[in-house]
Amino acid sequence: MTETSSSLPIAVTTHQPNARFGRRAREAAWGYLLIAPVMTGFAIFFLIALGASLYLSFTKWDMLTSPVFVGLDNYRTVLHDHEFRTALLNTVAITVPHIVLRLICALALAIALNSNIRFRAFYRILFFLPVLTMPVAIATIWKWLYDPAFGPINSFLRGIGVDNPPEWLSQPRSATVAVVIVLLWSGIGYDMVIYLAGLQAIPRDFYEAASLDGAGGWQRFRDITLPLLTPTIFFLSVIGVIYSLQVFDLVYVMTKIDQTNKLPTVVYYIYDEGFRNFRMGYAITVAWVLLGMILIFTIIQFRFQRRWVFYG
Amino acid sequence: MSARRGFSWSHLLLHIVLLTVGVIFLLPFVWSISTSLKPMSDLFQVKPSLIPSEIRWQNYRDVFDSVPFLRFYFNSVVVTIARTIGQVALASVAAFAFSQLRFPGRDLLFFILLAGLMVPDQVLIVPRFVLMREFGWLDTYQGLIIPLIFSSFGVFMLRQFMLGIPRDFFEAAMLEGANPFQIFRDIYLPLAAPALAAFGFLALLASWNEFLWALTVTSSTDMRVLPVGIALFQGQFFTNTAVLLAAANLATFPLLIVFLFFQKRLVEGIALTGLK
Repeated sequence: MTETSSSLPIAVTTHQPNARFGRRAREAAWGYLLIAPVMTGFAIFFLIALGASLYLSFTKWDMLTSPVFVGLDNYRTVLHDHEFRTALLNTVAITVPHIVLRLICALALAIALNSNIRFRAFYRILFFLPVLTMPVAIATIWKWLYDPAFGPINSFLRGIGVDNPPEWLSQPRSATVAVVIVLLWSGIGYDMVIYLAGLQAIPRDFYEAASLDGAGGWQRFRDITLPLLTPTIFFLSVIGVIYSLQVFDLVYVMTKIDQTNKLPTVVYYIYDEGFRNFRMGYAITVAWVLLGMILIFTIIQFRFQRRWVFYG
Repeated sequence: MSARRGFSWSHLLLHIVLLTVGVIFLLPFVWSISTSLKPMSDLFQVKPSLIPSEIRWQNYRDVFDSVPFLRFYFNSVVVTIARTIGQVALASVAAFAFSQLRFPGRDLLFFILLAGLMVPDQVLIVPRFVLMREFGWLDTYQGLIIPLIFSSFGVFMLRQFMLGIPRDFFEAAMLEGANPFQIFRDIYLPLAAPALAAFGFLALLASWNEFLWALTVTSSTDMRVLPVGIALFQGQFFTNTAVLLAAANLATFPLLIVFLFFQKRLVEGIALTGLK
């Protein structure tokens, strides 16, 4: 920044008799100046957008003509919308097993890597690589792995004697399993890294004291590791649910086969209603329902945390 | 714990388990590389083999002939660099103000900013799209870049880090006559380098992979970024799976290589973000 702009806030202070007050005013002016860029962008692309979004959820709008206010009609429609219900069930069917299995598998890996085993760094990189990979690329790769006729997964299954291996992505039920597997593969590494940081924060003395008292490996895990990790588990389950309810690109690319989507999720439905059927008002309403669900899930998780999360 | 001697059965068992899981983790990448080098005739085998019958590098060249892949790549690079620099610059300067300066309404403003983290993008995507239309920014670089350079998450993460830096530095430099921006630039920015690097990488990664906004705000082939290009042209122009996977590999591997160079610091940085 140049000299001219740096002297700008000082102008406030020059005629102040009280030097302390002047310093404070100057500091405050600088504070507002430095947060101004982020706050301006935030006001436009978040606050205004949020207000507009709320208003539009009460309208019928095709983006070409002006929005028509329809009151709660859209919200009433959501309740009876069969397609929305399918998308919602698909999303929940993906989210629940995804989160539960992910928390457990990542914890197992993190504990294994937290011992003084060799090649720890190597394993850590290995499990973390999918986290960095572009979801669209992941979906593209796995779509081929899952190919019912020519993919290696079914070739392997036939090889070990499974006569009718699943159709994977072309049937909703097997597609759900397939998608959960890919989400696990791509997300476990992230949880593992967070767990590892949590594990390293547990003082060694605790384990040594427990060993002296004759506690075995399982007991040490149950009585020390697990309780002290509950804040980490809580954090991961909260952000995991939020992320999983919003999943879009990965599932969309994987399950769009022959131009039809075999496993529409809520976010896919929002996009489809808005930008393809041009029912913008309704699409936004569905987005608000999604936001409401995310909030409810998060509040429930915070409510229940008192029962099991241990803050030492 | 049990490795007082050089060899332990439990560690051997652990290695077997970890290696098995590791191979499962690596296999999709390996299979993708191998498929991308296969000739068409290898693809339609009921018993596919990992090793291609012949190495066909031409598949990688075909990527560029099937779609304007170079253009997608260029767009992705431009958009990612601009968003990352924008996010780091704006978030770090705001984080400094929120963590070190005192001004009325500071904590309230910070709280409002944080509340933004909870709202999913889908709620905002249509109004943002309309804004872009009003600005005349649909299908432009501004449209791809500017709405995504304001990162509440970045402000939050960097503020948490800077709270750990004593305010004494700030007071002392003020007495010497430096202005807050100079103090930020000369003292706090260098001290926050590890957090900046970690956030910068996360911003880079998120931007490179971002799909929903890029899909919404662009419409012409020339303005597409890599993930959108790869997703949209599957089965249409990418008719050969080997070529499609070659495209996916080209989109993915540069970032993975960057990561391998910086991995220790980056993993630590990501762990840091998760705990605070």
